[in-house]
Amino acid sequence: MEAWLENLRKGFYQTFILKDNYMYFVKGIRITLLVTVLALILGVVLGVLVAIIRSAHDQQPVKKRGIVLRILNVICKVYLTVIRGTPMMVQLLIMWFVIWAGARATDGNLIRCAVISFGINSGAYVAEIVRSGIMSIDKGQMEAGRSLGLNYVSTMRFVIIPQAFKNVLPALGNELITLLKETSIVTVIGLKDLTKGAMIVQANTYQAFVPFIAIALIYLLLVLLLSWLLGKMERRLRQSDIR
Amino acid sequence: MIYVKDLSKSFGDNQVISHIDAHIEPGEKVVIVGPSGSGKSTFLRCLNLLEQPDRGTITFDGEEITSSSVDINKVRRHMGMVFQHFNLFANLTVKKNIMLAPVQLKIMSKAEAEEEAMRLLKLVNLEDKADVYPVQLSGGQKQRIAIVRSLAMNPKVMLFDEPTSALDPEMVGEVLELMKQLARDGMTMVVVTHEMGFAREVGTRVIFMDEGVIKEENTPREFFENPRDPRLKDFLSKIL
Ligand SMILES: Nc1ncnc2c1ncn2[C@@H]1O[C@H](COP(=O)(O)OP(=O)(O)OP(=O)(O)O)[C@@H](O)[C@H]1O
Ligand SMILES: [Mg+2]
Repeated sequence: MEAWLENLRKGFYQTFILKDNYMYFVKGIRITLLVTVLALILGVVLGVLVAIIRSAHDQQPVKKRGIVLRILNVICKVYLTVIRGTPMMVQLLIMWFVIWAGARATDGNLIRCAVISFGINSGAYVAEIVRSGIMSIDKGQMEAGRSLGLNYVSTMRFVIIPQAFKNVLPALGNELITLLKETSIVTVIGLKDLTKGAMIVQANTYQAFVPFIAIALIYLLLVLLLSWLLGKMERRLRQSDIR
Repeated sequence: MIYVKDLSKSFGDNQVISHIDAHIEPGEKVVIVGPSGSGKSTFLRCLNLLEQPDRGTITFDGEEITSSSVDINKVRRHMGMVFQHFNLFANLTVKKNIMLAPVQLKIMSKAEAEEEAMRLLKLVNLEDKADVYPVQLSGGQKQRIAIVRSLAMNPKVMLFDEPTSALDPEMVGEVLELMKQLARDGMTMVVVTHEMGFAREVGTRVIFMDEGVIKEENTPREFFENPRDPRLKDFLSKIL
Protein backbone atom coordinates (compact mmCIF):
# COMPACT_ATOMS: atom_id res chain seq x y z
CA MET A 1 0.00 0.00 0.00
CA GLU A 2 2.72 2.38 1.01
CA ALA A 3 4.68 1.53 -2.10
CA TRP A 4 1.63 2.12 -4.26
CA LEU A 5 1.05 5.54 -2.76
CA GLU A 6 4.69 6.39 -3.24
CA ASN A 7 4.41 5.31 -6.86
CA LEU A 8 1.36 7.48 -7.33
CA ARG A 9 3.15 10.45 -5.80
CA LYS A 10 6.04 9.92 -8.17
CA GLY A 11 3.65 9.55 -11.07
CA PHE A 12 1.98 12.82 -10.17
CA TYR A 13 5.30 14.58 -9.85
CA GLN A 14 6.59 13.36 -13.18
CA THR A 15 3.32 13.91 -14.98
CA PHE A 16 2.59 17.43 -13.87
CA ILE A 17 5.46 19.11 -12.04
CA LEU A 18 8.62 17.87 -13.70
CA LYS A 19 9.77 20.19 -16.48
CA ASP A 20 6.44 22.04 -16.25
CA ASN A 21 4.74 19.07 -17.84
CA TYR A 22 1.34 20.37 -16.70
CA MET A 23 1.58 22.83 -19.58
CA TYR A 24 0.95 19.96 -22.01
CA PHE A 25 -2.42 19.50 -20.35
CA VAL A 26 -3.27 23.18 -20.13
CA LYS A 27 -2.39 23.80 -23.76
CA GLY A 28 -4.09 20.54 -24.69
CA ILE A 29 -7.38 21.56 -23.10
CA ARG A 30 -7.20 24.90 -24.89
CA ILE A 31 -6.71 23.22 -28.25
CA THR A 32 -9.36 20.57 -27.63
CA LEU A 33 -11.91 23.23 -26.68
CA LEU A 34 -10.90 25.53 -29.52
CA VAL A 35 -11.26 22.79 -32.12
CA THR A 36 -14.56 21.63 -30.59
CA VAL A 37 -16.15 25.07 -30.44
CA LEU A 38 -15.02 26.24 -33.88
CA ALA A 39 -15.98 22.91 -35.45
CA LEU A 40 -19.37 23.10 -33.79
CA ILE A 41 -19.98 26.60 -35.15
CA LEU A 42 -18.97 25.48 -38.64
CA GLY A 43 -21.05 22.32 -38.22
CA VAL A 44 -24.18 24.20 -37.15
CA VAL A 45 -23.87 26.71 -40.00
CA LEU A 46 -23.35 23.93 -42.54
CA GLY A 47 -25.98 21.73 -40.94
CA VAL A 48 -28.69 24.40 -40.86
CA LEU A 49 -27.97 25.31 -44.50
CA VAL A 50 -28.16 21.70 -45.62
CA ALA A 51 -31.28 21.11 -43.52
CA ILE A 52 -33.02 24.13 -45.08
CA ILE A 53 -32.09 23.04 -48.60
CA ARG A 54 -33.24 19.49 -47.94
CA SER A 55 -36.55 20.53 -46.38
CA ALA A 56 -37.19 23.25 -48.97
CA HIS A 57 -36.73 20.57 -51.61
CA ASP A 58 -39.01 18.09 -49.88
CA GLN A 59 -41.70 20.66 -49.04
CA GLN A 60 -41.99 22.17 -52.54
CA PRO A 61 -44.48 20.54 -54.85
CA VAL A 62 -42.60 18.58 -57.52
CA LYS A 63 -43.55 21.00 -60.28
CA LYS A 64 -42.21 24.03 -58.45
CA ARG A 65 -38.76 22.69 -57.64
CA GLY A 66 -36.30 24.88 -59.49
CA ILE A 67 -33.25 23.38 -61.18
CA VAL A 68 -30.95 25.14 -58.67
CA LEU A 69 -32.81 23.60 -55.75
CA ARG A 70 -32.60 20.16 -57.32
CA ILE A 71 -28.86 20.44 -57.86
CA LEU A 72 -28.28 21.76 -54.34
CA ASN A 73 -30.36 18.91 -52.97
CA VAL A 74 -28.29 16.33 -54.83
CA ILE A 75 -25.07 17.90 -53.57
CA CYS A 76 -26.42 17.82 -50.01
CA LYS A 77 -27.42 14.18 -50.32
CA VAL A 78 -23.98 13.17 -51.62
CA TYR A 79 -22.36 15.13 -48.80
CA LEU A 80 -24.52 13.42 -46.16
CA THR A 81 -23.91 9.98 -47.60
CA VAL A 82 -20.15 10.30 -47.93
CA ILE A 83 -19.55 11.95 -44.56
CA ARG A 84 -21.80 9.64 -42.61
CA GLY A 85 -20.58 6.59 -44.49
CA THR A 86 -16.86 6.95 -43.75
CA PRO A 87 -14.95 7.01 -40.43
CA MET A 88 -14.05 10.37 -38.98
CA MET A 89 -10.42 9.34 -38.66
CA VAL A 90 -10.21 8.52 -42.35
CA GLN A 91 -11.74 11.90 -43.22
CA LEU A 92 -9.16 13.61 -41.06
CA LEU A 93 -6.28 11.66 -42.62
CA ILE A 94 -7.48 12.50 -46.12
CA MET A 95 -7.92 16.16 -45.23
CA TRP A 96 -4.39 16.49 -43.83
CA PHE A 97 -2.28 14.06 -45.83
CA VAL A 98 -4.07 14.31 -49.19
CA ILE A 99 -5.88 17.60 -49.50
CA TRP A 100 -3.41 19.61 -47.42
CA ALA A 101 -0.45 17.49 -48.47
CA GLY A 102 1.85 20.46 -49.06
CA ALA A 103 1.08 22.31 -45.83
CA ARG A 104 3.70 22.74 -43.12
CA ALA A 105 2.80 21.10 -39.85
CA THR A 106 2.43 24.30 -37.84
CA ASP A 107 -0.09 24.47 -34.99
CA GLY A 108 -2.12 26.98 -36.97
CA ASN A 109 -2.37 24.74 -40.03
CA LEU A 110 -3.17 21.67 -37.96
CA ILE A 111 -5.90 23.49 -36.05
CA ARG A 112 -7.43 24.84 -39.25
CA CYS A 113 -7.36 21.39 -40.78
CA ALA A 114 -8.94 19.83 -37.68
CA VAL A 115 -11.65 22.49 -37.41
CA ILE A 116 -12.60 22.11 -41.06
CA SER A 117 -12.61 18.31 -40.94
CA PHE A 118 -14.66 18.12 -37.76
CA GLY A 119 -16.90 20.96 -38.87
CA ILE A 120 -17.70 19.21 -42.15
CA ASN A 121 -18.23 15.94 -40.34
CA SER A 122 -20.40 17.42 -37.63
CA GLY A 123 -22.40 19.41 -40.20
CA ALA A 124 -23.71 16.18 -41.68
CA TYR A 125 -25.07 15.01 -38.35
CA VAL A 126 -26.37 18.44 -37.37
CA ALA A 127 -28.14 18.66 -40.74
CA GLU A 128 -30.14 15.52 -40.08
CA ILE A 129 -30.90 16.59 -36.51
CA VAL A 130 -32.10 20.02 -37.62
CA ARG A 131 -34.05 18.56 -40.50
CA SER A 132 -35.92 16.25 -38.17
CA GLY A 133 -36.61 19.31 -36.03
CA ILE A 134 -37.99 21.23 -39.01
CA MET A 135 -40.16 18.27 -39.97
CA SER A 136 -41.55 18.11 -36.45
CA ILE A 137 -43.02 21.62 -36.67
CA ASP A 138 -46.71 21.74 -37.57
CA LYS A 139 -47.05 22.83 -41.19
CA GLY A 140 -49.63 25.39 -40.13
CA GLN A 141 -46.76 27.52 -38.82
CA MET A 142 -45.24 27.80 -42.29
CA GLU A 143 -48.65 28.42 -43.85
CA ALA A 144 -49.43 31.19 -41.39
CA GLY A 145 -46.14 32.90 -42.18
CA ARG A 146 -46.61 32.55 -45.93
CA SER A 147 -50.22 33.72 -45.77
CA LEU A 148 -49.03 36.98 -44.21
CA GLY A 149 -46.70 37.58 -47.16
CA LEU A 150 -43.46 36.45 -45.56
CA ASN A 151 -41.30 34.44 -47.93
CA TYR A 152 -40.05 30.90 -47.30
CA VAL A 153 -36.66 31.94 -45.95
CA SER A 154 -38.03 34.59 -43.57
CA THR A 155 -40.64 32.20 -42.20
CA MET A 156 -37.93 29.60 -41.72
CA ARG A 157 -35.69 32.08 -39.98
CA PHE A 158 -38.16 33.73 -37.62
CA VAL A 159 -40.68 30.97 -36.99
CA ILE A 160 -39.64 27.46 -37.98
CA ILE A 161 -35.93 27.31 -37.15
CA PRO A 162 -36.28 28.79 -33.64
CA GLN A 163 -38.91 26.17 -32.80
CA ALA A 164 -37.04 23.37 -34.51
CA PHE A 165 -33.88 24.38 -32.70
CA LYS A 166 -35.57 24.24 -29.35
CA ASN A 167 -36.98 20.80 -30.10
CA VAL A 168 -33.63 19.37 -31.12
CA LEU A 169 -31.48 21.07 -28.52
CA PRO A 170 -30.97 17.85 -26.54
CA ALA A 171 -29.86 16.05 -29.71
CA LEU A 172 -27.55 18.93 -30.63
CA GLY A 173 -26.13 18.81 -27.12
CA ASN A 174 -25.32 15.15 -27.61
CA GLU A 175 -23.64 16.02 -30.88
CA LEU A 176 -21.50 18.63 -29.12
CA ILE A 177 -20.48 16.13 -26.46
CA THR A 178 -19.66 13.50 -29.06
CA LEU A 179 -17.64 16.08 -30.96
CA LEU A 180 -15.66 17.04 -27.87
CA LYS A 181 -14.66 13.42 -27.27
CA GLU A 182 -14.05 12.65 -30.93
CA THR A 183 -11.56 15.48 -31.30
CA SER A 184 -9.10 13.24 -29.46
CA ILE A 185 -8.35 11.57 -32.78
CA VAL A 186 -6.60 14.72 -34.03
CA THR A 187 -3.56 13.05 -32.48
CA VAL A 188 -3.17 11.10 -35.74
CA ILE A 189 -2.20 14.27 -37.62
CA GLY A 190 0.02 15.38 -34.75
CA LEU A 191 -2.04 18.23 -33.31
CA LYS A 192 -1.17 18.62 -29.63
CA ASP A 193 -4.63 18.39 -28.10
CA LEU A 194 -5.36 17.08 -24.63
CA THR A 195 -4.91 13.42 -25.62
CA LYS A 196 -1.69 14.09 -27.50
CA GLY A 197 -0.42 16.01 -24.47
CA ALA A 198 -0.90 12.98 -22.27
CA MET A 199 0.80 10.75 -24.85
CA ILE A 200 3.81 13.06 -24.97
CA VAL A 201 4.09 13.09 -21.19
CA GLN A 202 3.78 9.31 -21.15
CA ALA A 203 6.53 8.93 -23.74
CA ASN A 204 8.85 11.27 -21.84
CA THR A 205 8.27 9.95 -18.34
CA TYR A 206 7.16 6.34 -18.89
CA GLN A 207 4.25 7.13 -16.58
CA ALA A 208 0.96 5.85 -18.02
CA PHE A 209 -1.48 5.60 -15.13
CA VAL A 210 -1.54 9.20 -13.98
CA PRO A 211 -1.57 11.02 -17.36
CA PHE A 212 -4.22 8.85 -18.96
CA ILE A 213 -6.48 8.71 -15.90
CA ALA A 214 -6.01 12.46 -15.59
CA ILE A 215 -7.20 13.20 -19.14
CA ALA A 216 -10.10 10.78 -18.72
CA LEU A 217 -11.18 12.83 -15.69
CA ILE A 218 -10.65 16.09 -17.56
CA TYR A 219 -12.80 14.93 -20.50
CA LEU A 220 -15.44 13.76 -18.06
CA LEU A 221 -15.43 17.10 -16.27
CA LEU A 222 -15.73 19.00 -19.54
CA VAL A 223 -18.64 16.81 -20.60
CA LEU A 224 -20.40 17.34 -17.27
CA LEU A 225 -19.85 21.08 -17.55
CA LEU A 226 -21.28 21.11 -21.07
CA SER A 227 -24.31 19.07 -20.04
CA TRP A 228 -24.98 21.50 -17.24
CA LEU A 229 -24.72 24.52 -19.55
CA LEU A 230 -26.97 22.88 -22.12
CA GLY A 231 -29.53 22.05 -19.46
CA LYS A 232 -29.61 25.68 -18.43
CA MET A 233 -30.02 26.86 -22.01
CA GLU A 234 -32.81 24.37 -22.60
CA ARG A 235 -34.73 25.61 -19.59
CA ARG A 236 -34.46 29.17 -20.86
CA LEU A 237 -35.67 28.21 -24.32
CA ARG A 238 -38.61 26.34 -22.80
CA GLN A 239 -40.04 29.69 -21.69
CA SER A 240 -42.60 29.70 -24.47
CA ASP A 241 -43.98 26.37 -23.19
CA ILE A 242 -44.68 27.44 -19.64
CA ARG A 243 -48.33 27.50 -18.91
CA MET B 1 -62.08 41.92 -56.52
CA ILE B 2 -61.38 38.23 -57.00
CA TYR B 3 -62.22 36.53 -60.26
CA VAL B 4 -61.82 32.76 -60.46
CA LYS B 5 -61.95 31.17 -63.87
CA ASP B 6 -62.05 27.46 -64.65
CA LEU B 7 -60.16 26.53 -61.48
CA SER B 8 -59.16 22.86 -61.08
CA LYS B 9 -57.00 21.09 -58.56
CA SER B 10 -56.19 17.42 -57.96
CA PHE B 11 -54.18 15.62 -55.35
CA GLY B 12 -52.81 12.66 -57.25
CA ASP B 13 -55.85 10.98 -58.83
CA ASN B 14 -58.24 12.75 -56.52
CA GLN B 15 -59.86 15.66 -58.35
CA VAL B 16 -60.78 18.00 -55.52
CA ILE B 17 -61.78 21.14 -57.45
CA SER B 18 -63.39 20.85 -60.89
CA HIS B 19 -63.68 23.82 -63.22
CA ILE B 20 -64.93 26.37 -60.72
CA ASP B 21 -65.87 29.86 -61.82
CA ALA B 22 -66.54 32.46 -59.14
CA HIS B 23 -66.45 36.17 -58.54
CA ILE B 24 -66.11 37.97 -55.23
CA GLU B 25 -66.92 41.64 -55.21
CA PRO B 26 -65.54 44.26 -52.82
CA GLY B 27 -67.48 44.35 -49.57
CA GLU B 28 -69.11 40.97 -50.11
CA LYS B 29 -69.30 38.41 -47.32
CA VAL B 30 -69.31 35.09 -49.10
CA VAL B 31 -70.00 32.05 -46.98
CA ILE B 32 -69.03 28.63 -48.31
CA VAL B 33 -70.71 25.54 -46.93
CA GLY B 34 -70.67 21.91 -47.94
CA PRO B 35 -70.01 18.40 -46.72
CA SER B 36 -66.63 17.33 -45.44
CA GLY B 37 -64.13 16.62 -48.21
CA SER B 38 -66.06 18.64 -50.79
CA GLY B 39 -63.05 20.87 -51.45
CA LYS B 40 -63.97 24.01 -49.49
CA SER B 41 -60.59 24.39 -47.83
CA THR B 42 -58.76 23.59 -51.02
CA PHE B 43 -60.75 26.21 -52.90
CA LEU B 44 -60.05 28.82 -50.23
CA ARG B 45 -56.35 27.92 -50.13
CA CYS B 46 -56.14 28.24 -53.90
CA LEU B 47 -57.30 31.86 -53.61
CA ASN B 48 -54.04 32.87 -51.91
CA LEU B 49 -52.07 30.13 -53.63
CA LEU B 50 -51.32 28.12 -50.52
CA GLU B 51 -52.38 25.40 -52.94
CA GLN B 52 -51.11 25.61 -56.49
CA PRO B 53 -54.05 25.19 -58.91
CA ASP B 54 -53.58 22.71 -61.76
CA ARG B 55 -55.45 24.88 -64.21
CA GLY B 56 -57.53 28.01 -64.42
CA THR B 57 -56.79 31.58 -63.43
CA ILE B 58 -57.33 33.74 -60.39
CA THR B 59 -57.37 37.49 -60.77
CA PHE B 60 -57.09 39.65 -57.67
CA ASP B 61 -57.41 43.40 -57.86
CA GLY B 62 -56.87 43.33 -61.60
CA GLU B 63 -53.74 41.21 -61.42
CA GLU B 64 -53.65 37.63 -62.61
CA ILE B 65 -51.97 36.06 -59.58
CA THR B 66 -51.80 32.58 -61.09
CA SER B 67 -49.36 33.85 -63.70
CA SER B 68 -45.84 32.70 -62.91
CA SER B 69 -44.34 36.18 -63.14
CA VAL B 70 -46.30 37.45 -60.12
CA ASP B 71 -44.57 37.79 -56.77
CA ILE B 72 -47.06 35.86 -54.68
CA ASN B 73 -45.58 37.16 -51.43
CA LYS B 74 -46.61 40.69 -52.40
CA VAL B 75 -50.13 39.52 -53.26
CA ARG B 76 -50.58 37.66 -49.98
CA ARG B 77 -49.95 40.82 -47.97
CA HIS B 78 -53.34 41.99 -49.13
CA MET B 79 -55.17 38.73 -48.39
CA GLY B 80 -55.51 37.79 -44.75
CA MET B 81 -56.08 34.17 -43.85
CA VAL B 82 -57.46 32.68 -40.67
CA PHE B 83 -57.03 28.98 -40.03
CA GLN B 84 -59.04 26.41 -38.16
CA HIS B 85 -56.12 25.71 -35.83
CA PHE B 86 -55.15 29.38 -35.35
CA ASN B 87 -51.49 28.79 -36.24
CA LEU B 88 -50.12 31.47 -33.97
CA PHE B 89 -46.32 31.43 -34.03
CA ALA B 90 -45.53 29.33 -30.98
CA ASN B 91 -42.08 30.85 -30.43
CA LEU B 92 -43.29 34.44 -30.31
CA THR B 93 -45.32 36.42 -27.81
CA VAL B 94 -48.75 37.67 -28.82
CA LYS B 95 -47.44 41.14 -29.59
CA LYS B 96 -44.52 39.78 -31.63
CA ASN B 97 -46.92 37.51 -33.53
CA ILE B 98 -48.75 40.61 -34.70
CA MET B 99 -45.61 42.64 -35.36
CA LEU B 100 -43.54 40.06 -37.26
CA ALA B 101 -44.89 40.46 -40.78
CA PRO B 102 -45.36 44.26 -40.84
CA VAL B 103 -41.84 44.77 -39.49
CA GLN B 104 -40.05 42.15 -41.58
CA LEU B 105 -41.79 43.32 -44.73
CA LYS B 106 -40.80 46.88 -43.86
CA ILE B 107 -44.38 48.11 -43.92
CA MET B 108 -44.02 49.60 -40.47
CA SER B 109 -41.18 50.55 -38.17
CA LYS B 110 -40.87 48.55 -34.99
CA ALA B 111 -42.42 51.35 -32.96
CA GLU B 112 -45.32 51.76 -35.38
CA ALA B 113 -45.94 48.03 -35.44
CA GLU B 114 -45.93 47.88 -31.68
CA GLU B 115 -48.41 50.70 -31.47
CA GLU B 116 -50.60 49.03 -34.06
CA ALA B 117 -50.37 45.70 -32.22
CA MET B 118 -51.50 47.31 -28.98
CA ARG B 119 -54.34 49.10 -30.74
CA LEU B 120 -55.52 45.82 -32.27
CA LEU B 121 -55.20 43.98 -28.97
CA LYS B 122 -57.29 46.65 -27.29
CA LEU B 123 -59.88 46.15 -30.01
CA VAL B 124 -60.29 42.53 -28.92
CA ASN B 125 -59.81 43.28 -25.22
CA LEU B 126 -56.62 41.30 -24.97
CA GLU B 127 -54.05 43.99 -24.34
CA ASP B 128 -53.12 42.29 -21.07
CA LYS B 129 -51.96 39.27 -23.12
CA ALA B 130 -49.45 41.23 -25.21
CA ASP B 131 -46.41 39.59 -23.67
CA VAL B 132 -47.59 36.03 -23.14
CA TYR B 133 -46.90 33.10 -25.43
CA PRO B 134 -49.69 31.41 -27.39
CA VAL B 135 -49.73 28.25 -25.22
CA GLN B 136 -51.02 30.34 -22.36
CA LEU B 137 -54.18 31.36 -24.23
CA SER B 138 -57.60 29.78 -24.66
CA GLY B 139 -58.73 28.76 -28.14
CA GLY B 140 -61.04 31.74 -28.47
CA GLN B 141 -58.28 34.12 -27.46
CA LYS B 142 -55.88 32.50 -29.92
CA GLN B 143 -58.30 32.83 -32.78
CA ARG B 144 -59.09 36.45 -32.03
CA ILE B 145 -55.39 37.19 -31.99
CA ALA B 146 -54.88 35.28 -35.24
CA ILE B 147 -57.57 37.48 -36.77
CA VAL B 148 -56.00 40.73 -35.64
CA ARG B 149 -52.58 39.46 -36.71
CA SER B 150 -53.98 39.34 -40.25
CA LEU B 151 -55.59 42.73 -39.79
CA ALA B 152 -52.23 44.27 -38.96
CA MET B 153 -51.32 43.83 -42.62
CA ASN B 154 -54.38 45.89 -43.53
CA PRO B 155 -55.69 43.31 -46.02
CA LYS B 156 -58.26 43.96 -48.71
CA VAL B 157 -59.90 40.61 -48.21
CA MET B 158 -59.98 38.07 -45.41
CA LEU B 159 -60.22 34.32 -45.94
CA PHE B 160 -61.53 32.22 -43.05
CA ASP B 161 -61.24 28.43 -43.04
CA GLU B 162 -63.59 27.09 -40.38
CA PRO B 163 -62.41 29.63 -37.81
CA THR B 164 -64.64 28.27 -35.03
CA SER B 165 -64.53 24.52 -35.67
CA ALA B 166 -61.68 23.82 -33.27
CA LEU B 167 -63.18 25.88 -30.44
CA ASP B 168 -65.04 24.79 -27.35
CA PRO B 169 -68.69 25.81 -27.76
CA GLU B 170 -68.51 28.56 -25.16
CA MET B 171 -65.75 30.30 -27.16
CA VAL B 172 -67.42 30.27 -30.55
CA GLY B 173 -69.43 33.39 -29.75
CA GLU B 174 -66.50 35.69 -29.07
CA VAL B 175 -64.86 34.81 -32.39
CA LEU B 176 -68.07 35.16 -34.39
CA GLU B 177 -68.70 38.50 -32.71
CA LEU B 178 -65.32 39.78 -33.90
CA MET B 179 -66.01 38.53 -37.42
CA LYS B 180 -69.38 40.29 -37.40
CA GLN B 181 -67.70 43.48 -36.33
CA LEU B 182 -65.25 43.11 -39.22
CA ALA B 183 -68.15 42.57 -41.58
CA ARG B 184 -69.88 45.71 -40.29
CA ASP B 185 -66.69 47.65 -40.90
CA GLY B 186 -66.93 46.70 -44.55
CA MET B 187 -64.26 44.02 -44.87
CA THR B 188 -64.52 41.73 -47.87
CA MET B 189 -64.77 38.23 -46.45
CA VAL B 190 -64.78 34.67 -47.72
CA VAL B 191 -65.76 32.31 -44.93
CA VAL B 192 -65.86 28.53 -44.89
CA THR B 193 -67.96 27.56 -41.90
CA HIS B 194 -70.54 25.23 -40.44
CA GLU B 195 -72.13 28.11 -38.50
CA MET B 196 -75.40 28.49 -40.38
CA GLY B 197 -76.52 31.28 -38.06
CA PHE B 198 -73.51 33.30 -39.14
CA ALA B 199 -74.18 32.53 -42.80
CA ARG B 200 -77.75 33.79 -42.50
CA GLU B 201 -76.97 36.85 -40.46
CA VAL B 202 -73.72 38.09 -41.99
CA GLY B 203 -73.46 36.47 -45.41
CA THR B 204 -74.36 38.44 -48.48
CA ARG B 205 -74.12 35.28 -50.54
CA VAL B 206 -73.93 31.61 -49.62
CA ILE B 207 -72.20 29.01 -51.79
CA PHE B 208 -72.81 25.29 -51.57
CA MET B 209 -69.83 23.22 -52.62
CA ASP B 210 -70.06 19.52 -53.28
CA GLU B 211 -67.60 17.17 -54.96
CA GLY B 212 -65.38 20.00 -56.07
CA VAL B 213 -68.00 22.11 -57.81
CA ILE B 214 -70.33 24.95 -56.82
CA LYS B 215 -73.71 23.28 -56.82
CA GLU B 216 -75.70 26.30 -55.77
CA GLU B 217 -75.24 29.91 -54.73
CA ASN B 218 -77.76 32.44 -53.57
CA THR B 219 -78.66 35.08 -51.05
CA PRO B 220 -78.83 33.58 -47.57
CA ARG B 221 -82.62 33.84 -47.47
CA GLU B 222 -83.17 32.05 -50.78
CA PHE B 223 -80.38 29.62 -50.02
CA PHE B 224 -81.89 28.38 -46.80
CA GLU B 225 -85.58 28.76 -47.59
CA ASN B 226 -85.64 27.67 -51.21
CA PRO B 227 -82.81 25.27 -51.83
CA ARG B 228 -83.08 23.72 -55.30
CA ASP B 229 -80.19 21.30 -55.59
CA PRO B 230 -81.15 17.89 -54.14
CA ARG B 231 -77.72 17.47 -52.51
CA LEU B 232 -78.12 20.86 -50.85
CA LYS B 233 -81.61 19.94 -49.60
CA ASP B 234 -80.15 16.76 -48.18
CA PHE B 235 -77.22 18.66 -46.64
CA LEU B 236 -79.45 21.29 -45.05
CA SER B 237 -81.86 18.71 -43.67
CA LYS B 238 -78.95 17.05 -41.92
CA ILE B 239 -77.50 20.11 -40.26
CA LEU B 240 -80.49 22.34 -39.54
N1 LIG C 1 -52.53 18.17 -49.15
C1 LIG C 1 -53.38 17.20 -49.58
N2 LIG C 1 -52.91 16.08 -50.12
C2 LIG C 1 -53.75 15.11 -50.57
N3 LIG C 1 -55.08 15.19 -50.50
C3 LIG C 1 -55.61 16.31 -49.96
C4 LIG C 1 -54.80 17.36 -49.47
N4 LIG C 1 -55.60 18.33 -48.99
C5 LIG C 1 -56.86 17.90 -49.18
N5 LIG C 1 -56.88 16.68 -49.76
C6 LIG C 1 -58.09 15.93 -50.14
O1 LIG C 1 -58.91 16.77 -50.91
C7 LIG C 1 -60.26 16.57 -50.60
C8 LIG C 1 -60.90 17.88 -50.25
O2 LIG C 1 -60.31 18.36 -49.08
P1 LIG C 1 -60.71 19.74 -48.42
O3 LIG C 1 -59.87 19.88 -47.21
O4 LIG C 1 -60.63 20.81 -49.43
O5 LIG C 1 -62.20 19.50 -48.01
P2 LIG C 1 -63.14 20.37 -47.09
O6 LIG C 1 -64.36 20.63 -47.88
O7 LIG C 1 -62.40 21.54 -46.56
O8 LIG C 1 -63.51 19.37 -45.91
P3 LIG C 1 -63.64 19.65 -44.35
O9 LIG C 1 -65.03 20.15 -44.13
O10 LIG C 1 -63.47 18.28 -43.76
O11 LIG C 1 -62.59 20.60 -43.94
C9 LIG C 1 -60.30 15.54 -49.49
O12 LIG C 1 -60.61 14.28 -50.08
C10 LIG C 1 -58.91 15.53 -48.94
O13 LIG C 1 -58.58 14.25 -48.48
MG1 LIG D 1 -61.66 22.13 -44.66
